[in-house]
Amino acid sequence: MKKVSLLAAAVGTALAMTACAGGSTGAAPGDVNPTGAIKAREISWLLSRPANGSVITVMKGLADEYAATHPGFSLKFITTPDRPSYIQKLETLAAAKKLPEFFDTDATPYAQKLAKQGQMVDAEKLLKDIGLDQSYRPSALAYQRFDDGSLYLLPFEYGAEYFWYNKALFAKAGVEVPKTLDDFPAVCAALAKTGVTPIAMAGKEQWPLERWMAYQPFRLEGPAYVGKLKKGEAKFSDPAGATAAKWLGELGTSGCFQKGFSSVGYTDAQNLFTSGKAAIYNMGTWELGSLATDKLDAGVRNDVDFFTLPTVAGAKTADNDYVAPSGIGMAVNTRTYDPLVRDFLKFALTKYPQQYAASGALTPTTTDVTLPANATPLYSKAISTAEKVGDELAMPWDTQLDPTTNTRLQQELVLLVQGDVTPAEFISTMDTTLAQNAPKYFK
Amino acid sequence: MTSSPTDTLPKPAPAHGGQVPPSRRSQSRVHARRRRPLKPAQVVSRVLLGALLVVQVYPLVWILLTAVRDDADFASHGAFGLPQSFTLDNFARAFEQGDLGRNIVNSLVVTLGASALIVVCGMMGAYAIQVLGFRGSRVVRALFLVGIIVPVQVALVPLFVDYAKVGLLDTHLSMIIPLAGFSLPMSLYLFMSFFQYIPQEIYDAASIDGAGPTAIFARITLPMSVNTIVTVVMINSIFIWNDFVFGNTFVLSEELKTVPLGLQNYIGAMGKTDWTATFAAVCVTVTPLLLVFLVLNRAMMYGLESGATKG
Amino acid sequence: MLPYRSRLSVVGFLLPPLLLFGGAVLLPIVQSVYLSLFSWDGITDREFVGLENYRHMVGGDPTFWTSFTNQLGYLAVCLVLQLGGALLVASLLLTITRGREVVKVLYLLPAVISTVAIGLLFQRIYSYDPVGLLNGVLDDLGLGSLSRPWLSDVHTVLAAVSAPEGWRFVGLYTIIVYAALLAVPRELEEAARLDGANAWQVFTKIRFPYIRPVWVTTTIMATTFALRGFDIPYLLTNGGPGQASELVTTYMYKTAFTSTNYGYASAMSVFIVLECLVAVGLISLLLNRKAVR
Repeated sequence: MKKVSLLAAAVGTALAMTACAGGSTGAAPGDVNPTGAIKAREISWLLSRPANGSVITVMKGLADEYAATHPGFSLKFITTPDRPSYIQKLETLAAAKKLPEFFDTDATPYAQKLAKQGQMVDAEKLLKDIGLDQSYRPSALAYQRFDDGSLYLLPFEYGAEYFWYNKALFAKAGVEVPKTLDDFPAVCAALAKTGVTPIAMAGKEQWPLERWMAYQPFRLEGPAYVGKLKKGEAKFSDPAGATAAKWLGELGTSGCFQKGFSSVGYTDAQNLFTSGKAAIYNMGTWELGSLATDKLDAGVRNDVDFFTLPTVAGAKTADNDYVAPSGIGMAVNTRTYDPLVRDFLKFALTKYPQQYAASGALTPTTTDVTLPANATPLYSKAISTAEKVGDELAMPWDTQLDPTTNTRLQQELVLLVQGDVTPAEFISTMDTTLAQNAPKYFK
Repeated sequence: MTSSPTDTLPKPAPAHGGQVPPSRRSQSRVHARRRRPLKPAQVVSRVLLGALLVVQVYPLVWILLTAVRDDADFASHGAFGLPQSFTLDNFARAFEQGDLGRNIVNSLVVTLGASALIVVCGMMGAYAIQVLGFRGSRVVRALFLVGIIVPVQVALVPLFVDYAKVGLLDTHLSMIIPLAGFSLPMSLYLFMSFFQYIPQEIYDAASIDGAGPTAIFARITLPMSVNTIVTVVMINSIFIWNDFVFGNTFVLSEELKTVPLGLQNYIGAMGKTDWTATFAAVCVTVTPLLLVFLVLNRAMMYGLESGATKG
Repeated sequence: MLPYRSRLSVVGFLLPPLLLFGGAVLLPIVQSVYLSLFSWDGITDREFVGLENYRHMVGGDPTFWTSFTNQLGYLAVCLVLQLGGALLVASLLLTITRGREVVKVLYLLPAVISTVAIGLLFQRIYSYDPVGLLNGVLDDLGLGSLSRPWLSDVHTVLAAVSAPEGWRFVGLYTIIVYAALLAVPRELEEAARLDGANAWQVFTKIRFPYIRPVWVTTTIMATTFALRGFDIPYLLTNGGPGQASELVTTYMYKTAFTSTNYGYASAMSVFIVLECLVAVGLISLLLNRKAVR
């Protein structure tokens, strides 16, 4: 009897808990300039950035500066640098309706759901209201936009993704920089013959290999293909997808990536390249500190150069269109949005670019970068190339597809490149998964 | 598996009606064998044990060696074998980037708090079920069995919502309660199996003297359970000290981060990780646990063994 | 049972553990059972779907069944390593004369180290390029043809992610089994030897039957731990390549926190609970019936 009543009590509580899941919202997403006095208090930022990285250092300094004139104000940083752990935390907080004033997220379909629920402040209107809308690079904002063009996320970083390569290893193998994507298999085969790893791949991180899936379709059809694919309006078996699958299969059979790449982590893959054991390394400018300063191993320092995403025959996108991410974005919570939050954002975002650029990193605004003292000549070349990135952005697929399809794609890509499945099997598996999940997620 | 009626030692009766505790019994075997020369079978077993020993101890040695290598050495030499370099920079970086001292203090608070809860609740529950006894105790036992086998991950979202409601989020308690709750069943079972072997006669005698259940618990059961308590604390500490899931979910403030959460501070942009500093930090943070472990080892071994043979 | 006990004292002693257990464990479990009847992404309103999640799990999701068979493989490797290893080491320990205590402590060391460090260590042990420890040893032994990227090969990955978990806790089970073996009355063994029994017969006829109760407990412990195994596969391969090392637990975690399908993930956790209960039932049934025979 006792047990039964205990159980009944527990169920009762469970039901009560679910009954009040609704919750209230504060400001409307478009209400970016609420009335009222600025009342200083502690606000929090749930973020996934390196604990002692430049973004946090600069923002900490700005928060202290703001607090000096606004006693009682403080900005609390809740950082979880490991991305999967961060995502678990973000989703748990969102489910409990406990998101703080600011929180980090990519422009994923999940974030879009939050925006549709009215949980995020309209960043387009916010930037205009605080007079900063003209200072941002259009491509930095484009990366943060949802596919309907709306903007709810603020960028704090900017970078371009290049193909770093080792000139000495290329010369030894007698190969040139690939002119088109279709040159890769031959280049790899020649490089592999000399006993080096052609391309260093951090397969354990999932996203680096997924980039390679996006390249062919982006060149062939521009960003439109993945935009339709994610909703189930296009298929993997369409020409763009099929070409990509066939190409990745060829990359695998030509031995492009090191054997066992799927369990190699970020740092280890980079070490393969910086120690001269791998010839090509596809990586963004956020690694300039490791690739274009005197921190780079002296043995390869003068041999490293980079090229940008090669084109294909009949490409729809220009040579200077490629992946240029502005990092994970920051959303502003509508529930806790008030004159204080607005005032602090105005203060911090106005001053941020100048201070961040001083760290030697590209900013999402058009601010000149201060080169670090230990930079190699390649540093400034990388920066000036990034300044010329075109308007058509190649979006990473992991921020586009619904999460279930995305997870399956990452798994199947490894099998495809390892030769465990054929391109045809890959396409059929992916189209089934897509049909099961995409329409449901984007309904 | 009964104890002799005359046994009035204030210690648990040894396992199987034997009069010699395990450790002493093994010593008598030692004496019996020392005179004979080694047989081939003994040589083989020594070699095997030695080989297994290497396998078991190797990871700790590896972590230590990695912590004193410099980055380039770690990157280029496949990370095995003796370091080509020796540096303490990794430790300097580990202390500079993280707040290891505070992490260790938090882990201590959580581990001690959870252990205290586990011991108190585990003993009380086991006492009620095993010693006091009541109708329906089998049902309660079964209820606790469910707790042994539930995966913790899926309880996270409901727990988070519950904790948010009662204002427990972002406190030491928000880690202590679920960690203690999920460790409770195993500990309760350990205590129950141990209590079985406190002879009924002791209780009967105390009852005749007029002691009530509470007095008997305080005067007989508690003092006789010291070894088991040490065992329970040690086993659970291993899991609690290394817990990541609950800490990551319920803790938001930098000031409350435990050791496994603190180790994340060495992760950089896009997942690039400073491994040598991480391992220096692992070295530092595993030390308190290791020290306690070595000191309490003898007590723990005894508790584990008596718990096991009686379970 | 104590002769003088009141209902009040039973309640008094039982209440604190029940409160802790009920609040921290039972309540969220009941809540997730309840959640398993819904389709919910954590943000939008939940939608009641009845048993649809269970139907999908059993009938419409091949990945779930792949992960289930993988989990059984994982279980098998863990059990062989932990129980077999424990029995072997414990028996060996009985044959040495000095240093047993020290050896036992050292065997327990891997259990103390955090799984993140263990994961990283094994990633390097299994590595192919640069050559990891395992492949290096194989090369040295002239078995270079066997060397492979253990964590990327779909045929070896499951065993490769299971082994570290099995290895970590060998020490713990060794101590338990060793203690049980010590308690076997020597007189029985001596008597059997005098009757002409060899070492194997002594083991199967005397020692093992004697430690059977402990063996059952140990088996249940190892089985339920293995059925909940998560950390090391998650850290080493996250289920890959493909679904070759996906376990029900890692799949459940991904369903909850990558796909934000809390209802379906809850259904899977209910499955894991049932799976553990069935396993515990089977073990007691099999091992205890043998004891009767």
